[in-house]
Amino acid sequence: MSSIEAPAPAGRALRVPAAAPRANMSRIALWAIVLGLCVMPFVLVIVISFGQKIEGAAWVFGFTPEHYLRFFVGASWPETTTTLYLNRLYYSIYYAVIASVIAVATAFPFTYFMTRMSRAAQSRWLVFLLATLSLSEVFIVMGWDILLSNRSGLPMLLRESGVTGWLKETGWFDVLREWGMANPRDVKFKTSVFATILTMSYLVWPYAVILLYPALSRLDQSTVEAARTMGASPWAVVRTVVLPTVRLPLIGTVFLLFVFLLGTYVSVTVFAEPAKQTLAISVYESVRGSTLNAPFGAAQSVILLITAGLCLWLGQVLVNRQGARG
Amino acid sequence: MKALVHLFMGLAALVIALPILVVCASALNGGRSMVFPPQDPTLMRFVEFFVSEPVWRGALLNSILIAFGSATLAVLIAWPLAYGVWKSGSGASKIVAGLGAMPFALPPIVFGVGLGFMWGFAGGLGDIWSGVVSHAVLFLALPLVTVSIGLQSIDRAHLDAAATMGATEAVALRTIILPQMVPYTLSGFFFALVLSFNEFIVMFFVSASGYATVTLQIFNSLRNGFTPTMAVAAITFIAVSVAVFTLIARFGDLPRLMGADQSKT
Repeated sequence: MSSIEAPAPAGRALRVPAAAPRANMSRIALWAIVLGLCVMPFVLVIVISFGQKIEGAAWVFGFTPEHYLRFFVGASWPETTTTLYLNRLYYSIYYAVIASVIAVATAFPFTYFMTRMSRAAQSRWLVFLLATLSLSEVFIVMGWDILLSNRSGLPMLLRESGVTGWLKETGWFDVLREWGMANPRDVKFKTSVFATILTMSYLVWPYAVILLYPALSRLDQSTVEAARTMGASPWAVVRTVVLPTVRLPLIGTVFLLFVFLLGTYVSVTVFAEPAKQTLAISVYESVRGSTLNAPFGAAQSVILLITAGLCLWLGQVLVNRQGARG
Repeated sequence: MKALVHLFMGLAALVIALPILVVCASALNGGRSMVFPPQDPTLMRFVEFFVSEPVWRGALLNSILIAFGSATLAVLIAWPLAYGVWKSGSGASKIVAGLGAMPFALPPIVFGVGLGFMWGFAGGLGDIWSGVVSHAVLFLALPLVTVSIGLQSIDRAHLDAAATMGATEAVALRTIILPQMVPYTLSGFFFALVLSFNEFIVMFFVSASGYATVTLQIFNSLRNGFTPTMAVAAITFIAVSVAVFTLIARFGDLPRLMGADQSKT
């Protein structure tokens, strides 16, 4: 890996032999920084997940699979089996899948229309989107919390406008109660699966637009026009011309958003009912919160990491295969 | 058809803006509770946030310190990484850049847990400096991407010309590459800055309750219910984001940074 024989498309002519040792030094320093800061935390999580918990509060390094066993079958296995943590993982995946699919499905037409606008208009939309994208999860949760609160949000609006009464008359109210979206007297959104997924898809919606933007803005407009001239309806054009060309970015975006949402913390703590909370919550509880079992928290993090990694890998495989075919 | 498109875009903008608008309006509440529409409107909450409440002032100061520190550090690490890939194009340089971008691509809660362990061993858990380093690493990917995009736009013919005329690599870097890279570097810096400002979960694990940033302070106060003072924090943060991205759009090419087609300008 010496610097001399490495192919250097830009710099070969510029490279001066005397600079080579210094270049090597800085390369080593870079590797040290990246390995020490970017990779080390993940390595520690994996190592500590095999650590031994000592009664009290501490833990020591070790090599025990007990935390993984506890995750999959419960601490008192084989006498009894509990799937509490598998259930948490299920909800992590469930929320993340639905929220990312909704975000991409609604962001796709939006991005398509946006890329048809003038460059200046696109810039303005991008500023707006980036500002909301960067906005902290705590603020977004705050906003939806007010909007969905019983006192001043949507439930009040529904009540005042008579929609709640109408729902009761027509029997839809009982359906809502079955879905956990109404208490005996009113429509409620906190806590509900609906509110959790709504906030989560809101959270990643700007990301979806930003991720779809490059592909859609490079879309060859002449093929769309050709199809239109030949008499295809707008809907047929979208289905037969636009969607097939951006299929890969669409799939890729869903996967990326999914990975991003796997670790969502604030929305789930605020909007999901205790029985339907996710792995991110129990990771926090184990590492910093009430139960204080760092190795178990690390083991749960590893499971999250593996889920995320599998998903990124699967996305890559799909993209490669379809890329090769198309 | 055109009207439908406008309707759809307007609706999307409304839904995106709605929670933000509601939060902003709530800052005007006179009482302690957060209701919408605001009751007994007052601007006292702004005074509390910026001046009279030391908790919020301290948190804001920490947020600013960490955001500027980590964004600077991220740019300083990202530059040689991006330059290495562009320059040599070797497998090793691509791997090291990929590893550098990894923390941003994986669930932040896992990275936060890992950093918590790491600073626990190394010392520095609960210190501001470790928070700065943590955010620099987390957002390394952003300047890495903007600087790489910028480097691709440099005309290699200029470099060859410089080399023919006897310029060393260092001279070419200083006189040709760096001046062209200023907007991309700044964009990367500001992306990292804004995201660090708003980041929550990694800071949550790394600060170990040793200090609070604004987002941490808001989360800590969450169990007592939201108060209008928090909404002032939200307004401040939104204003900063809009200002920063407007600047990037004004002085850099935002559509290009976001990967838009180059032929249409």
